[in-house]
Amino acid sequence: MLSFIARRIAAGAVLLFVISFLSHLLLSVPDLDVGRQLLGSGATQDLVDAKNAELGLDRSVLVQYLDWVAHAVRGDFGTSWFTGENVVQAIGTRLPVTISLLVGVTLVTAVLSLLLGVWAGVRRGGPVDRLVQVLAVAGYALPGFLVTLIIVVVFAVRLGWFPAIGYTGFTESPSGWLSTVTLPILSLSVGSVAGLTQQVRAAVIDVLRQDYVRTLRARGLPPSRIVFRHVVRNAAAPALTVLGVQFVGLLGGAVLVEQIFGLPGLGGMTVAYTTRGDIPVIMALVMVTVLVVVTINLVVDVLIGWLNPKARVA
Amino acid sequence: MKKTARAAATVAACVTAATVLAGCSGSGSAGSGSTTLSIATLTLPQSLDPADANGSALPFFQAVYDTLLKREPDGTYAPMLATAWKYNDDRTELALTLRGDVKFDDGTPFDAAAVKANMERFVKKTGAQAKTLKDVESIEVVDAAHVTLKLGRPNPAMLFYLSDAAGLMANPAAFAKSGDPLKTRPDGTGPYELDTGKTAIGTRWAFRRATSYWGRGLPYENVTINYFDNETALVNGIKTGQVNAAVLQDADQQAGVENAPKVTTVKQEFDFQGLLLFDRGGVVTPALRDTRVRQAINHAIDRRTMLDKLRQGRGQITNQIFGTDTAAYKKELDAYYAHDPAKARELLKQAGFGGGFTLRLPRITAIVPDALASSLQTDLGKVGIKVTWQTIDPGSIRQVFGQRAYSAMVMNLGQSATDWVTVGDYVTPGVFNMFGYSDATVKELLPKIQRAPVEEAGPHLQALNEHLVKDAWFVPFYRMTYLHVSDGSVKITPQSGMAVPSLYNYAPAK
Repeated sequence: MLSFIARRIAAGAVLLFVISFLSHLLLSVPDLDVGRQLLGSGATQDLVDAKNAELGLDRSVLVQYLDWVAHAVRGDFGTSWFTGENVVQAIGTRLPVTISLLVGVTLVTAVLSLLLGVWAGVRRGGPVDRLVQVLAVAGYALPGFLVTLIIVVVFAVRLGWFPAIGYTGFTESPSGWLSTVTLPILSLSVGSVAGLTQQVRAAVIDVLRQDYVRTLRARGLPPSRIVFRHVVRNAAAPALTVLGVQFVGLLGGAVLVEQIFGLPGLGGMTVAYTTRGDIPVIMALVMVTVLVVVTINLVVDVLIGWLNPKARVA
Repeated sequence: MKKTARAAATVAACVTAATVLAGCSGSGSAGSGSTTLSIATLTLPQSLDPADANGSALPFFQAVYDTLLKREPDGTYAPMLATAWKYNDDRTELALTLRGDVKFDDGTPFDAAAVKANMERFVKKTGAQAKTLKDVESIEVVDAAHVTLKLGRPNPAMLFYLSDAAGLMANPAAFAKSGDPLKTRPDGTGPYELDTGKTAIGTRWAFRRATSYWGRGLPYENVTINYFDNETALVNGIKTGQVNAAVLQDADQQAGVENAPKVTTVKQEFDFQGLLLFDRGGVVTPALRDTRVRQAINHAIDRRTMLDKLRQGRGQITNQIFGTDTAAYKKELDAYYAHDPAKARELLKQAGFGGGFTLRLPRITAIVPDALASSLQTDLGKVGIKVTWQTIDPGSIRQVFGQRAYSAMVMNLGQSATDWVTVGDYVTPGVFNMFGYSDATVKELLPKIQRAPVEEAGPHLQALNEHLVKDAWFVPFYRMTYLHVSDGSVKITPQSGMAVPSLYNYAPAK
């Protein structure tokens, strides 16, 4: 298991390098005259050239990249060209917001989908199963932004139970943090709960049909024990895979939710800084995203391996 | 393995309970009452260095910096860091008298040398506003309290600029430091200081009352300015009281907030939307060289329908670029060009373009949504002008202004209350006149306007405005009504010639 993790980490590191180089190449298009953008159209060409030289943009792309790597491995991602912020600090203040959302949604999705999916699968055709079917279709069919807007209007504007916008840091006030992330998490969870519940339900039904379950029943094991000890364990692996894929997909959904709730997360930052071509910030954001995706995939694989020894490919 | 099930159930219960608890204690983080003013904006300042300042981001800067002159809500000037100002007879020297009791936080005195250092740096840093001081040839320090600006030629907008970005005064001690500290740690003499602990640059700027302010402070202990990239979040913030004040540009959003309980609104017309014809010399699109072609475009467009359909009628049709607060403004010019496709076709025929021509236009989707794009394409298509839209992202706007790749562009532009600001922005060669086009009438009128005292320039300005309209330099559509909205706790006074109110224009509602 440990060697498996070590190999995956090594592969992740290689991936970081490859993606950082490709991103750098893509961002180094000659048309992106950063100096001109920074100084405005009123500046003379001499000033623009001097600015580009100051930023080191007059060097070859490879030299620029190696310079970036040399600093990045020491944790120095430079400063934003446009706002003068330290990139690490800027991302540091926004990362907790997005991570709060992603982790929150993943937990809520995992717990709710497991409970609902198992219940629906075990009691097929019962009232809970029917309800789950209806909700799943609704959760799938409704576009994310519509769900989010409805949630804001109902729970924040009309009922006033939660704030409509903004974010409070966990360290600042845990209860404030919870009240500001609840609605965004709820908004993002609707779609993923709908998807995963169906997945769990199908897996449970599939496992219940297996011969060994019939054998266990014949031996007189109590149904609850069969379900939680055997069925859930075998149904969990495909569900975890879906959850991992969903988590990565959430990065896109988070952009929208952060905009509607006015949350100072990475989503809005990515949009704002990318359109301006702020390369130090974009590079760091790409690295953070790759790191998150690699980590999630690793965690999912380890969990699946732990649940199901057969999946541990040596 | 029962443990797993129990654990799962416990987690589920905790999540649910926590949600309910949070719901019970759900109070926003934004302040209410009169200790904190929470403003929302769609404008992102590049940084808090005055060299990067511009009009719509001015409130950010007004919190931490003072300007030489203060601009009152009606557009008149009042003393601020400068207590008096006087022109010489030919309006080429502007003498300023400065306050003597103002210091920066580190003890550096604010004096004539500081003014000189700030203005010279402002030009050298070539920010977007650097051009506003292009007529200043030199700055002479007379003594600590007196400074004289020597102008290469008279500039009727100079006082306006000194009450705007070019008049923001930062601590000269910060200029020499490496790494542009002013960008993230502003250092001025203003009524507030940036609370870096509560600030997340790019989303929320928190300001707390400065410990020692030379002037009369503003009525709020704290001010936060929150950036949003969409008006939906902003409207929700207003409705829940998490945001106290904002400006709404979008007609649908305005309609959605007007009847909300407690919300108070004030209307203001500031920006106009229109097609700016840069290429009146016909460099890229030869047809535009003929005045009749430009007039035909003006006649082809159905402004009334556009205003009703695209902005729910929230605005006023106009054919002139000068705003209602200027001396150049003539009400009758608002409707100079009637919607008349037959006349447009006739004019095109006279100009030798009866067979029509193609007009390539850049399009930034945030400014030109689908409805507007197809409306213009249809109206102009009916008279034989084929519009082809080319979508560009805001980052490549350089192609328009730097490379002069396009003949015209649809834009939303402010209408200053100061005539010469409008002239400088749109008529003289520069950013919005990048082809440098001019004509005999304009060349004759501009020096007259420049040399006349502001109060006597009216007739020349009206003549200029009339010429620009009749010669079809531009194709303005309408002035757009913007809505200042408050959650009911703030009284907002709009600022003449500015889309957003000055920071000084907010007060607790009685």
